[in-house]
Amino acid sequence: MSDCAIDVKGLNKNFGTIKAVNNFSFTVKKSECFGLLGPNGAGKTTTMKMLYGKVEPDIADDTAIDIFGFSPLDRALEIKAFSGIVPQQDNLDSQLSVWDNLLVYSKFYGMTKKEAAVRIDELLEFMELQERKNVNTRELSGGMQRRLVIARALLNRPKLLFLDEPTTGLDPQVRHLIWDKLRELRDSGVTILLTTHYMEEAFQICNRIIIMDKAKKILEGKPKELISKNLEKFVMEIPGMKEPARKCLKYFDENSIRYEVFKDTLYAYCSSYDKLKAYTDISKNEDIYIRHTNLEDLFLKVTGRSLNELQ
Amino acid sequence: MSSSNFHKKPSLVTRLYSVWYRHIRVYNSNFWSNAFPPFFEPLIFLAGLGLGFGKYIPDMAGIPYIIYLGSGLIVTSAMYTAAFECSYGTFIRLEFDRVYDGMLGAPISAENLIIGEIIFAGTKGFFFSIAVLAVVWGFGIITEPLSILSPFAGLLTGLMFATASIYITAYIKNINHFNFFFTGILSPMFFFSGVIFPVEELPAAAIPIAEALPLTHAVRLARAFCVPELLSPWLLLDLLYCIIFIIVTGWLGVRAMKRRIIL
Repeated sequence: MSDCAIDVKGLNKNFGTIKAVNNFSFTVKKSECFGLLGPNGAGKTTTMKMLYGKVEPDIADDTAIDIFGFSPLDRALEIKAFSGIVPQQDNLDSQLSVWDNLLVYSKFYGMTKKEAAVRIDELLEFMELQERKNVNTRELSGGMQRRLVIARALLNRPKLLFLDEPTTGLDPQVRHLIWDKLRELRDSGVTILLTTHYMEEAFQICNRIIIMDKAKKILEGKPKELISKNLEKFVMEIPGMKEPARKCLKYFDENSIRYEVFKDTLYAYCSSYDKLKAYTDISKNEDIYIRHTNLEDLFLKVTGRSLNELQ
Repeated sequence: MSSSNFHKKPSLVTRLYSVWYRHIRVYNSNFWSNAFPPFFEPLIFLAGLGLGFGKYIPDMAGIPYIIYLGSGLIVTSAMYTAAFECSYGTFIRLEFDRVYDGMLGAPISAENLIIGEIIFAGTKGFFFSIAVLAVVWGFGIITEPLSILSPFAGLLTGLMFATASIYITAYIKNINHFNFFFTGILSPMFFFSGVIFPVEELPAAAIPIAEALPLTHAVRLARAFCVPELLSPWLLLDLLYCIIFIIVTGWLGVRAMKRRIIL
């Protein structure tokens, strides 16, 4: 058996005249956590939805989608039977309790009441929701609702998990809890495909990522390697600098420091901390801030700092 | 956690049943408020129209008016409940609560989802017809034993109006547009399909239109079970109309709604 869980080639989707996904190809290995990153409107969600049959791809000659040996074009139900899906928007049955939400959903997998009861208890414990099992979902906080939607996606013990922005809008405690759980699932052998625009999320849990922008793949690789390959090690942020002074530019040029100005902040990139530090000594500006470059810097570098018309 | 007995695609019956089960569970979660209207509504109609009007119109087409009206209400309540379920109900699940997005994460197809919903609305029509029947029995208005079969006309009515409503909902972008459906289509149907007075009393030009309406045929079936003198082989044509209507509108409705759900 191949070690490939998802193998996608030539994925395309147009909505009217808008190109949502443009000739997109990628592979996800088994037991890997794979992240699709990109600004809003980059095509992440559409890509994901095409893999489980919620959106129909436009078929080109070279289009091929293989998900554990099945194509969503004709075998979407088989794919959904072994997958768990967490959509972007929580969509629980607000009139039902936590327990009943899961029970109703267990029927879709043909579980008996007894099988479901065992599994639901396990999942409520896993997602730390046991105490809420008789509470109406309307009364749950956003973080609890999200955990319940994730628990729901795990009812069938999926071998593949699709997560569309799993932690958007949640507080740091809940985000860390969800990351822990996702790492646990990944380490137990579950393949995970997630979309996010939180760079930290990708950095924390993804083995590999793709950065998408304007319906296309921009970069692909391991988060750390992508940063080291594409960015200097450090960045210096100088606020209140609409136009860099001449002596400042001269210093950057002499030391081959790359810089850019956005709004009223100057960003200077360099792999030598000392060179940046030396600048702060000259300029005596107290608001200067030097830090390691991160995935967010990379993201902004490749997708641009300004908003596009879809964001 | 990766091995499981639940990775097989469930059977068609399981898939349709699970959609139906979801709707029943949600419906029953507000049991008392949901069980109230099907029993109380026929009471208002019978009291308002039957007692008030009925005094002045002792007979309608040779049948005591209260029986005439009561037998018609058995299917109109099914019509309204199925139409509401598959218009406002469906639209809210589709656009506001996004329940369909959640359900389609499970191994069911969009077709399963829509057909399960139609079956649920049919069941609801059946239940509402039973409620009306219980009321007319309880007041001794209808005593004919054969009337026990009339809720099956309610089931057909529920299925007809579920399919038609799904078809319309597939094209509705704004929830307020359902006003055209309810006031423009269902209200006239209530008055001109032989529930309140016989279709034959309509102007000659309007009779073929009334005959084309689904409710007319369902009323005829329900009434014949309540007043056995009306039973005739011609009713098979009414039955055939209902079945063809469900199949054709159902096919159109599922196709149109699927296009809306699967992008």
